[in-house]
Amino acid sequence: MIQLAHVTRTYGATRAVDDVSLRIERGEIVALVGENGAGKTTLMRVAAGEIAADAGTVAAGGRVELVHQHFMLVNQLTIAENLALPHPGFRFTTRRGIEREAEQTIAASGIELRDVARRVAELSVGERSKLELIKAIARKPATLILDEPTSVLTPTETEELFRVMRRLADAGTAVVFISHKLPEVLAIAQRIVVMRNGRVVAESRAAEANVVSLANTMTQSPFPPSGGKGVERRRGGEILAIVGVAGNGQAELAAKLRDEQPNAAHIPEDRTRDGIIAELTIAENLALRNERWNPRDAARHAERTIALYSIRASGPLQRAGDLSGGNQQKVILARELERRPKTIVAAEPTRGLDIEATRFVHEQLRAEAANGASILLITSDLDEAFALADAIQVIYRGRLSERLSPAEASEKIGRLMAGVA
Amino acid sequence: MSRVLSAVLAAVAALLLLAITAALFGHSPLALLSILVRSSVGSRFALEGTLLKSVPLLLTGLSVVIAFRAGVWNIGGEGQFIVGALAALVASRFGAIASLLAAMLAGAAWASIASAMRLWRNAPEVLTTILLNFTAIHLLGWSVNGPLREHAAQYPQTDLAAATLPPLASGVHSGVLLALAASVAVWWMLYRTMEGLRLRATGFNPFAARWAGIRVGSQLARAMAISGAVAGLAGGIELLGVTHRLFERFAAGYGYSGIAVALLAQLHPLATIASAFFFGALVTGAGELQRTADISAGVATFGQAVVILMLIVMDHVRTAR
Repeated sequence: MIQLAHVTRTYGATRAVDDVSLRIERGEIVALVGENGAGKTTLMRVAAGEIAADAGTVAAGGRVELVHQHFMLVNQLTIAENLALPHPGFRFTTRRGIEREAEQTIAASGIELRDVARRVAELSVGERSKLELIKAIARKPATLILDEPTSVLTPTETEELFRVMRRLADAGTAVVFISHKLPEVLAIAQRIVVMRNGRVVAESRAAEANVVSLANTMTQSPFPPSGGKGVERRRGGEILAIVGVAGNGQAELAAKLRDEQPNAAHIPEDRTRDGIIAELTIAENLALRNERWNPRDAARHAERTIALYSIRASGPLQRAGDLSGGNQQKVILARELERRPKTIVAAEPTRGLDIEATRFVHEQLRAEAANGASILLITSDLDEAFALADAIQVIYRGRLSERLSPAEASEKIGRLMAGVA
Repeated sequence: MSRVLSAVLAAVAALLLLAITAALFGHSPLALLSILVRSSVGSRFALEGTLLKSVPLLLTGLSVVIAFRAGVWNIGGEGQFIVGALAALVASRFGAIASLLAAMLAGAAWASIASAMRLWRNAPEVLTTILLNFTAIHLLGWSVNGPLREHAAQYPQTDLAAATLPPLASGVHSGVLLALAASVAVWWMLYRTMEGLRLRATGFNPFAARWAGIRVGSQLARAMAISGAVAGLAGGIELLGVTHRLFERFAAGYGYSGIAVALLAQLHPLATIASAFFFGALVTGAGELQRTADISAGVATFGQAVVILMLIVMDHVRTAR
């Protein structure tokens, strides 16, 4: 059980969380949805005691564990060593000892993860997120908060996660699930809380909610229930999607292209590490590819970009690191696309973004293609690939399949991704 | 807590700790502080002494600011200071300007040895720059005992440099103006040029800098070279303005003190002016303490150490909120 009362938290001039009250009962699964920058993660970090609230109170009946969107693992250590790290106090142990302990912890969590002597660096993204979850469950939290856990998971892994969540809830744990994927939210949550601009704007029982109404409350602007290719193609410009399960060589491909084609636009997969420079301002981040630097011109330019891309920021001089993930992605996109590049390499450009931001990114990519840019879209999101691509190639263990039309791909893609074709 | 406040608090805390320590050893803390203040800024003569000490500290401080902003840990200010002075001495017969240019080139070249080892063999510059300090110290020792030894061959020191910096007022050489101009130039470079933006970006996040099209390796090498040039300039100015000749203990730790100066200034080139003046006053005052109150001039080093420790504590307080 956890109860938040009138919680407020500000970053500079931005009210990330504005007078929010929320109560989550034992055994309940609550989904927290909202656009990027709506304040979901900030609110949950306050709930977990990671950051202090400027005003308001948090009352938790027991331990609160927050599993982050970004991994908090030591890459150089093994699975077993990572699980042994939170152990308090001093003790003597052996490699075998902590490995046995790790195996027990994993078995008790009900999550499948084999070979605990492997280093985290060798694990796939899905396995890493499992390890994060096991680490959190091992501490027997009364409240478990999961921040965007499914954004890196395959459909099977997602189902496995949902089974674990249901079992924990049945055992009395309060589970909070932050997500953008509304169908998932409807499938797993009993109650859905919608945040917008730092406030809770709606709350409903999952049984009474549907995707379109939820999307509308999240974004304010009316949301079209079905998509379709908006932009008419006029010239050249093709979108080629490289799809595959994460960890099959996508990152290496993107890095190789970055080094070989410095003049292309590059949107890196890991936006906090490779995309944004957190300590610099928005204006400075936007200017990184410029020839000249003049703070006044750059601020003016950034002001226009903020308006054009509707970036939620207090101004061009705000630290880029204080922006939410979606707004950071918009800054990167603006920087890379405003040079009108002929080639664009976009790796997971919408990972972790909400509907509105995803739609925005997709529109930008389509518009660039319509203007003649050739786009390589590296993605593990099949919906995204089919929505945008003119042709698809599957990457498996570092090798690319033949070129497929979307129609061909829809038949073969599953087997190609699993490496059985 | 703001960065300025934490720097000021660190400086005040250093002075307080100094006073408390003095009290523990039976000295009157007030008398000690008053000697410190009087002998560093209390008279025209004292102020000139402090200014003279501040000039090399300001320049080595700026050298550290540039390197640390770029994320390269140049601990080699001491060595770059020495080779700068050696080059300045050799080039002094072509005039003061040529001499200082030679000092900057030599400092840059010395620092670039470390970046070359970093780029080709991935040797950490923290180690290589420190090792290059020892190399430079021995190079200086060999020079003043060998090829550059004075013609009289009486002491292990060189002849007077053929050029000097013209004096400004009695006792203060024009290097003060050069050092102040260097602060403004470094500020301008860091915050008003693309080079500076790329340098800072690389320092904050080399991964993202690389994705944004910055060639990180050459960026680091350039930052290291500029940093070395400024430390070399410090050595050249110290030679032409103050000592006029070289001897074994010429560097006197200015290269290392630059680290404390830069950290107290929170790596800001203009704040470095105030920070260098503070440490300059501390060094000057400590000299007087040794003469009149029989307290080791080592208290200046003690003060530097305490400032750095306090800054680390403040930083922690500031970010732990």
